[in-house]
Formats: sequence, structure tokens, C-alpha cells
Amino acid sequence: MSTTLTKTHKKALIERLNVFTAFGLGILSAVVAWKLSMALLPADSETAPLFTREDKITLISMIAWFVGFMTGIGALIAPFRWALGKDLSHDENMYYAGKDLGVKRYFKFTTDHKVVGIQYLVITMVIFGIGGILAMLIRTNLGTPEGGWIHPQAYNSIVGTHGIIMIVGTIIMVTGPFGNYIMPIMIGARDMAYPRLNALSFWLIVAASIPLIWGQFIGGISTGWSAYNPLAGQAPLGMNGYIMFICIFALSTMVAGANITTTVVKMRARGMTWNRTPIFIYGTVASVALALPAFPVFFLSQVMSGMDRALGTSFYDTARGGSGWLYENLFWLMGHPEVYVILIPAVAALMEMAPVFTRRPLFSFNVAVMGIAGISGLSVLVWAHHMYMSGWAPLLNAPFMLTTELISIPTGMLFLVLVGTLWRGRLWMTVPLMSIMALLWNFMIGGITGIYLSDVPADAFLHGSMFVTAHFHYTLMGAGLTGALASLVYWFPKMTGKMLNKRLSWISFWMVQIGFNVAFIGMFIVGLQGQPRRVEAYPAIFNRGNLITTIGAFTIMTGMLILLHAVISSWRNGVKAPMNPWQAKTLEWSVPNPVPLENFAELPVVTSDAYGYGRKN
Amino acid sequence: MTSLQTPPTNSWWKKQDIKRLLLLTVIFSVAIGYFGSTVQAWAMGTPASESMQNVINLITMFTWVSAPVAGFVAAIAVSALLGKHHYGDNPPPEADHAISNSPRGNAAWIVVSALLCLFALVAGLVALQDQNSQILNSNAMRISVTGQQWVWNFDYPNSKGVRSSVLHLPVDQPVVFNVTSKDVKHSFWIVQMGIKVDANPGVITQTAVTPNTIGTFDIRCAELCGLLHAYMQNKVIVESRADYEAWLASQPDTSQTTWVDKNPKADSQGGKTA
Repeated sequence: MSTTLTKTHKKALIERLNVFTAFGLGILSAVVAWKLSMALLPADSETAPLFTREDKITLISMIAWFVGFMTGIGALIAPFRWALGKDLSHDENMYYAGKDLGVKRYFKFTTDHKVVGIQYLVITMVIFGIGGILAMLIRTNLGTPEGGWIHPQAYNSIVGTHGIIMIVGTIIMVTGPFGNYIMPIMIGARDMAYPRLNALSFWLIVAASIPLIWGQFIGGISTGWSAYNPLAGQAPLGMNGYIMFICIFALSTMVAGANITTTVVKMRARGMTWNRTPIFIYGTVASVALALPAFPVFFLSQVMSGMDRALGTSFYDTARGGSGWLYENLFWLMGHPEVYVILIPAVAALMEMAPVFTRRPLFSFNVAVMGIAGISGLSVLVWAHHMYMSGWAPLLNAPFMLTTELISIPTGMLFLVLVGTLWRGRLWMTVPLMSIMALLWNFMIGGITGIYLSDVPADAFLHGSMFVTAHFHYTLMGAGLTGALASLVYWFPKMTGKMLNKRLSWISFWMVQIGFNVAFIGMFIVGLQGQPRRVEAYPAIFNRGNLITTIGAFTIMTGMLILLHAVISSWRNGVKAPMNPWQAKTLEWSVPNPVPLENFAELPVVTSDAYGYGRKN
Repeated sequence: MTSLQTPPTNSWWKKQDIKRLLLLTVIFSVAIGYFGSTVQAWAMGTPASESMQNVINLITMFTWVSAPVAGFVAAIAVSALLGKHHYGDNPPPEADHAISNSPRGNAAWIVVSALLCLFALVAGLVALQDQNSQILNSNAMRISVTGQQWVWNFDYPNSKGVRSSVLHLPVDQPVVFNVTSKDVKHSFWIVQMGIKVDANPGVITQTAVTPNTIGTFDIRCAELCGLLHAYMQNKVIVESRADYEAWLASQPDTSQTTWVDKNPKADSQGGKTA
């Protein structure tokens, strides 16, 4: 009885905990741990490993923050109750799901997948906001050859932070908001398989963000997002913030991956066989399933990096028997599947929209599934193409060139599905439809430049240059972010109950796409001219290309700010959305706005796939 | 290359929209290939070695080979945009057909993309073999390259400890670089010669080139190596054999050379420096 729970008893513990208690307890435990370790840890001496005391103190404080925060948000209550043999009652579970809590539930450890989806959407927007500001700082500094107004140390830190924060933002941008909010409804489920893990995966990201911000004030992350050793070993204390951030974020990704995979495998509606399952679901599962092997490796690489710093081990120290190549291998074992973790769900979301906005069936569903599966399978076998020039194993360059170039075949299948669906379709001119066009254009450029980079002799020139930077922005931003923004426009009516302002989203779409192509074509040119990545100053010959890139970057920023304005104003006082504004046939459009707590009063039964447009039955 | 689309049904090529598609494919392919290769050739400038010429040729070739695929995709997108349109808040009527598959089209697409992939692979392997054989050239001059934050130093053979921070090379002489680092990872990149290899602390890595143009070129560090990474740039001066010998003789003996005549076979197993 939830009413007695709140009124007659004094407030139970789960009702007291929210984001404020979490921050309070997190900060308190960090301060206590800091004081204690300052007092108790012995000074560095000739016998103990040198120069590690401050790293130990920093890491201990950050771990204390993490434990304090997760306790304060209430993540540990249910496991403790279970261990004590007093499992949660139904009322308490409904309280956790956010029943009758109103706005408060967005600030608590709430298990409802729709609340988690909105939380993810907001945090993704915050991450892109911060990452975007850092990008603007980089581009402003590179507007003139001298650079100069940002100190090199700060510049390196901005580059590293921009990199890692955007990688994290793009990893969660589709599977976070839409994978959590839309996916369970799309498969006809009442919630995720593990609702508490769902809430956990979100709050882990919040917990992770603080060490990253903290790191900025104790020296920054001056190593680029890849944090290669031995440079990372030599970097200031801020590096510990990166290490903690990655460890906690990797936990979040693993938890979310296990949860989403289980949900899709076990909880699809009756009748939803694998060939009636929407393609977006395949994309989401492929993405999180790829993260499952990738992120434990990333976690491990950073644990070892932290041990090298704080405990005086030598995993990556060549002088004492370790190897920097070990770090590179571990990093890219995560790093290459990870780009497909980002890309696949974004492309799959656009494949989901293609039939809706051309009013014809998805072309070659089986080829789409084969493409997604093929990319997922190959993507774990290509990591060392990031290390062609590292000298690690020149003999392996040829086999890695083979696997890398093979990926172009399943990638081509995704193109086939999209162009096949467009062909002779009746185009409904909307932002999602034009996003498909933009994806074809950007992803084509990103893909072809990827072929140059996959070729070892050409990579001898291109590796480590701005060409690489432009290439992966074309794939992750030109293709990935385009898919995510289209998803936002497409699913906004279901998630918020309002229509997104049409005029503003069109203006934003064109500004972002034009600005993007201007910016990164300029970057391709300076890369071909020979400008290395991650430089804060450059010879005058690169001036023109960099200026073009900077102008393009500011155009993107303006477009994104317009979109932000459109999202906020439409969310607050937009036009009310009908239940199915796009007349689409997937299940999420069959539930009313706002979506009720357990989605379906009666679980649906599926009798056909969701792409029956133009079929005369 | 224009044969990428759905294979024949009855006189499929006579349909109006197919004709338009083919025309657009040809136009876009040529435009993309021409634009891509022209910008690339302009941006990459004049090569200073055979290796760089190979890189330029490879990229140009890949551009022209992928251009028909890009052109075909662009042609379909543009045809769709030129076709039936619908604006407004409500969906258009559904398509008057429900074609949801075309096995022969799929097969053609997959076969063509596999062939293109195979072609790229073979071209890459041939060029790679060429590059690798240069390292094994026994007539090559061996120069030790040491990166450290934030300079490059070069040690020369047949000298009494000559060490310089500006690299001097005799023209048309095959060179093998034994590259290492004193502190963190750097990447040794001679831009106009199209070669690069990482400098790892404690390990020697190798790359090879034969400069074929007299002039001054750029060496840049291509791996973020800390505070002044952007300024880790040196020049390489390629000169005639006589000029090179004269320069070498004029250099003082630093007696701190790290030059060692490494056997390439030992190197490929990752031998450590003394």
C-alpha cells in the first residue's frame, strides 16, 4: 500500500534518497578518504615506488566518491535487502518504478525504462553541449596558425577531454535514450528484463562524470582520448580522473549491454519472431552485444594504467619489462568494435525510418540483418589497423588489412538496404527522410576515406594526420550523429508527447549538415597536405584549410543551438502530439501519449513484420 | 562500373527512370572521381620519393574505383528526390507496389562489392610488398633516428659520431631508418616522402625510402607526445652525393653517436637497444 508507506510511517530510506543525497554522500566520502589517505599513507621513499603517493591519494578519493555516490542514490538498497532475506515488496517495487512520483522520479534511482530513457536523453544533450564547447575552443585556437591563446598543456587537455566525452556521448546517444525508452515498447514488453540494472547503468554514468571533471582541475587529460602509455604515465594527476571515468563508464556499458541483450532475447511479444523483429532492435542488440566483449578490455587496460601510476607496477613500462604495445592492443581491442557500437544503432534507426517516410517496405530485411551481423563479427578482428605504423607486428599488417577491407562488404549491404528502400518510394519530405540522404552522403565519404586508411602503404602517409580526424568525424558524426538527431525528431512525439518544432528543426538540419561538410572537407585537405593531429599550432600552408574548418565548426554550433532551443521550447509548450503522428506500424506507436507506467494494458500479439506498406492484402 | 543496379527483367533498361538513373550514375561518378582525385593531387603536392608517388597513385586509384559506387548511391538518392514528393503533416499514400526484395539485385551488389574489396586488397598487398622489400635492401644506408621530447636526432654511418637535428640525405640512395625514442612514443614522418613509423622507447622500428628529389622537406611528429608536440618538426635536406659527403666531413665529432648497424632480421623480432 503505497499510501501507508508514505503517510503513516516515518519516511522509509528509499524515499529519502535522491540525486542530492547521492552528491552529498559522494562528496563527504571523497573528502573523508582524502583526509585519511593524506594522514596515513607513507611518504614516497627509495624503498617504496617513487612519485606514486599523490596518485594513490587521488585514486582512493575518487573510488570513495564513487562508492559514496552509488550508496547515496540507493543503488545498494535492493541487493542488501535481498541479502538480508527481506526482498522488496510489490509496493516498494512500484515506488522504485516511479509510480505517482511526478517530476521527482527523474532525480531518483527509478527503474521505469521510460524515466531512464529521458534521463539518458538529457545527459546525452549535456555531454554534447560540453563536448561541443570544447570543440569550439579547439577550432578557435586553430583559426590562426600561431594558435597561442590557449596554453599547450590546456590545449592538449581540451583535445583529450573533447575526444573521450564525445566518444561516450556518441556511444550512448542512440542506445541510451531510444534503446531504453523506445526499444521495450517496440518489442511489446512492459519493462526491461532487469529494471534495477537499467537505473544502475544510468547513475553509473553520472557517477563517472565527476572524476572526469575533477581531473580537469588537477592537471587535465593531456594525452588525447587514447591515453597512450608511456605518455599517460608521465601525465599529471588529472590522468587518474580519466582512469576512474573509463572504469565506471565501462561498468555502465557492460550492465546496459547485458540488460538490453537479455530483454530483446527473452521479452519480445508473442508472435514477434526474429524475422518480424524491427531492424532497429537488431541494431541496438548488435551495438550493446559488441560492447560486452569490448568494454571489459577497456576497463582492464585502465586498471593496469592506474596500477602503473599508483602502485609502481610496469605493465606498460618498456624499461622495466612491460610494453607500450600491450596498452595499444588492449585499447584498440575496445576501440575498434566501439566505433561500430556507435554507428550500427544510428544506421539501424534510419533503416527503421526509411519505410515510414517512403511508404514502402524495407528493402531486403535479410540483407540488412546480414550486414549488421557481418559488421559486428568482423569488427572484433580489425583492431590492429590502428597500429600499422606502431612497429608492433609488421608481419600482421597484411592480415589486418584483409579483415579491415572485408568490412566494406557488410557496410555496403547497409547502403543497399537504404537505397533499395528509397528507389521508387514516395518521399515524405521530413527531417528524418533528409537525414537518410545526409547519412548516405556522409557515410559514403567516411567509408571511402576509410578504404584509403585501411591500405597500409597509404596509411604510412595518412596515419596520425588530420585526414584521420576528418575520416572518423565523417563516420561517427556525419553518419552516427545524423542518425541520432533523426531519431530525436522521429521519437520526440512519443517520448515527450509534443511535436518538435518543424521549422526550427529544418533550419538546424541544414546548418548542421552544411557546416559539417564544410568543416571536415577542409580538414581532409589539411590532412592530405600533411598536418598532424592534435597540434595546437601549424605552419602557414595549413592556414586556409583550418580557417574553412573553423568557419564550418561555428556553423554546426549555431545549428545545434537552434536545435537545443527547438527541443526545449517544444518540450515545454509544443503542439500536443497525436498517438501515431507518422502513421508508422511498429508497436511503440500503438500506445497512448503519455505512455502509461507499464506500457501495455494488454500485451500485444504480433502477426506480421512492421513494414507492410503498399501491400495489398 | 555502371552495371551495379538490379539485373535485367524484360527490357528493364528501357524504362524512363532507369535511363535517368544510369545517366546520373555516370555524371556523378565522373564528377566525384574527378573532384576527389584533383583535390587530392593538389593537396598532396610534389612527391619526393617513389614511395610517396605510390601513395598518391594508390589513393587516386581507390578514388576512381569507388567513384562509381558513390555515384550510383548518389544517383539513386537524387532520383528519389526528383521523383514523387509529399509535403505536409500527414503521410502520403502508400507506394503502389510492395517490392521488398530482389535476390538478383542483392547478389549483384554483393558480388560487385566483394570484387572491389578484392581489388583494393590486391593493390594494397602489392604496394606493401614493395615497401617491405625496401627495408631488406642490403645496399641501403642505415641512419639511426632518436625521438625525444621534442626534437629528432639523427646519427650517420661512416662517420665519427656525427649527430644532427636536420636530416641530410644523399639523393637516389636507399636509406633504412632505425627509429627509437628516449621517452614517450613519437612517430617519425617524412611528409613528402610518404613514410612513417612510430618511435617506441626501448625498441627499434624500421622504415625505408629512397629520396629522388633534391630539396628541403618536412619531418613532423605524428603521435601526440606531450606539451610541445606541435613544434616537434625538423627539416630533411636531400642533396647530391658530393654535397652530402662534404657536409658529413665538415661536421664535428660529437663522440656520442648511438648509431649501430642493426641486422634487419634481428630487428623484425623486436630487438632491444643497448
